[in-house]
Amino acid sequence: MTDGRSVTRARPAGASLIGDEPLIRLVDVTVTYPNGKEALINVDLEIRRGDFIFLVGPSGAGKSTLIRLLIREQVATTGRVYLAGRDLARVSRSQVHRLRRRIGVVFQDFRLLPNKTVRENVAFALEVTGAPLDEIRRRVPRLLALVGLEDQAQQLPAQLSGGEQQRAAIARALVHDPAILIADEPTGNLDPVTGWEIVQLLLEINALGTTLVVATHNQEIVTALRRRVVALEQGRMVRDEVGAAYRRG
Amino acid sequence: MGFLRFLGFTVVRAGQGFWRNKMMSLAATATVILMLVLLSGLVIVLGGLNSGLAYIESKVGVTARLVDGLAPEAVDQLVAEVRALPGVASVEYVSPEEAMRRLEQAYADRGQTLETGGSDISLYASIEVALTDPAAATSVSAALGERPEIERITTIQEQYDKLLGVTNVVRLAGLSAMILVGLTVVFMIVNTIRIAVFSRSREIEIMRLVGASDAFIRWPFIMEGMLCGLLGAVFTVLLVALVWGPIQPLLIEIFQMPTAVGTQFFTFVAVLILSVGLVVGMLGSWISVRAHLAAGV
Repeated sequence: MTDGRSVTRARPAGASLIGDEPLIRLVDVTVTYPNGKEALINVDLEIRRGDFIFLVGPSGAGKSTLIRLLIREQVATTGRVYLAGRDLARVSRSQVHRLRRRIGVVFQDFRLLPNKTVRENVAFALEVTGAPLDEIRRRVPRLLALVGLEDQAQQLPAQLSGGEQQRAAIARALVHDPAILIADEPTGNLDPVTGWEIVQLLLEINALGTTLVVATHNQEIVTALRRRVVALEQGRMVRDEVGAAYRRG
Repeated sequence: MGFLRFLGFTVVRAGQGFWRNKMMSLAATATVILMLVLLSGLVIVLGGLNSGLAYIESKVGVTARLVDGLAPEAVDQLVAEVRALPGVASVEYVSPEEAMRRLEQAYADRGQTLETGGSDISLYASIEVALTDPAAATSVSAALGERPEIERITTIQEQYDKLLGVTNVVRLAGLSAMILVGLTVVFMIVNTIRIAVFSRSREIEIMRLVGASDAFIRWPFIMEGMLCGLLGAVFTVLLVALVWGPIQPLLIEIFQMPTAVGTQFFTFVAVLILSVGLVVGMLGSWISVRAHLAAGV
């Protein structure tokens, strides 16, 4: 790291985290795939509660691997990943589902169930976690109102625009009131105006206290918002800068 | 409440899955029916054979025809000595008069009258030896054969052994067929559930992402397999109930002995069919879910 870059340094593993404990902490994380390819190399990263982070980098830089680590679809080959002080490698398989309720995820392709209405798509995320019916009835309309889809509640995904589908996916990702929302290329399939609307929605969600990690290639949005930018290249973290623009290399 | 919600969710999803994938589900159910019909047939035939065996076993004894004109004292002595043999439960002397009375009774039981055509017939005297253990028939027969008061010995041990042999063959052949058909059924259910898992891979992915537990993801599929098994079992029980009455006389005719099985036995067969249907359905879907629904790291 060079001067002029605001780099957040990780504390040593085991240090006291009471008080200002980071929400996410990666300590010297390396991920090596069975074919020998290193997807992440010696990555140190801290994300604090309420942060809004853009994760940038070319395809194959390691963004998706980092997201997979955060949602515990993958474990680090070496190093440690902590969520609220909890070492994710030590979360047993039977407890992973509890962890995932604290993390919302949205994708470029929305991943809505085509045969369910918007309301049912959001309710489904509560049903499959055993939520009581009255909680589902209470929470779903509130979430649809938050993302501005009250009037589209009974429509199927195919009847919605791309932006509306992404809003539905965001509502679903928020059903468990997660501490962090991870968005993987949320504007990738959207036109520029709709993309901005989605980013505005993400900013509103962040303003309500949810930590945001947004992986994106959208230079215009990253540069305009001047938020914290974490850049990856060939598996290495090459930049961690607050108030930065999108920049290659 | 939590468990009831889980159960409700699982049952509803299993039903939806069964219906969406109905061609494969019905094919799997049909193979379950085939297997259970075979099982019912086997159990009923074995039940009939076993009750036949039990009947013969109760009758296994030794009957010895006595020489004519034996003095009453000699008969008494013979009875006392035979009673003392190992393996003998009781000894009954059947006089010629008693033998005739029994013969007339046997005819009367069938609604007939014994017609002797006017001639005066006389039956032979005998002793009937009941055994404590059918295996003692050989040694008792041998001991009786050495006695001069006895003209001829008859036992039904041979019939018993023959029926036991038939029962063992039926049991072995039936079980082999059952294992083969059972494996086919499990294979069918494994495939049905595999298709169900693949057709719902997007849902499964979303369930994982939003924090559904493994139980919520897996049990609807296991329940779907159990549904195939249960439907097959219910259909088979109804089928067996339908043919239960008509097959009773058929069994008696085939085996030429009282092999009819009771209502209690029907309850046993019904419970067996339902249990086997459920277990096979569960086993097949469990194997499939294990193989095709590996949990994340």
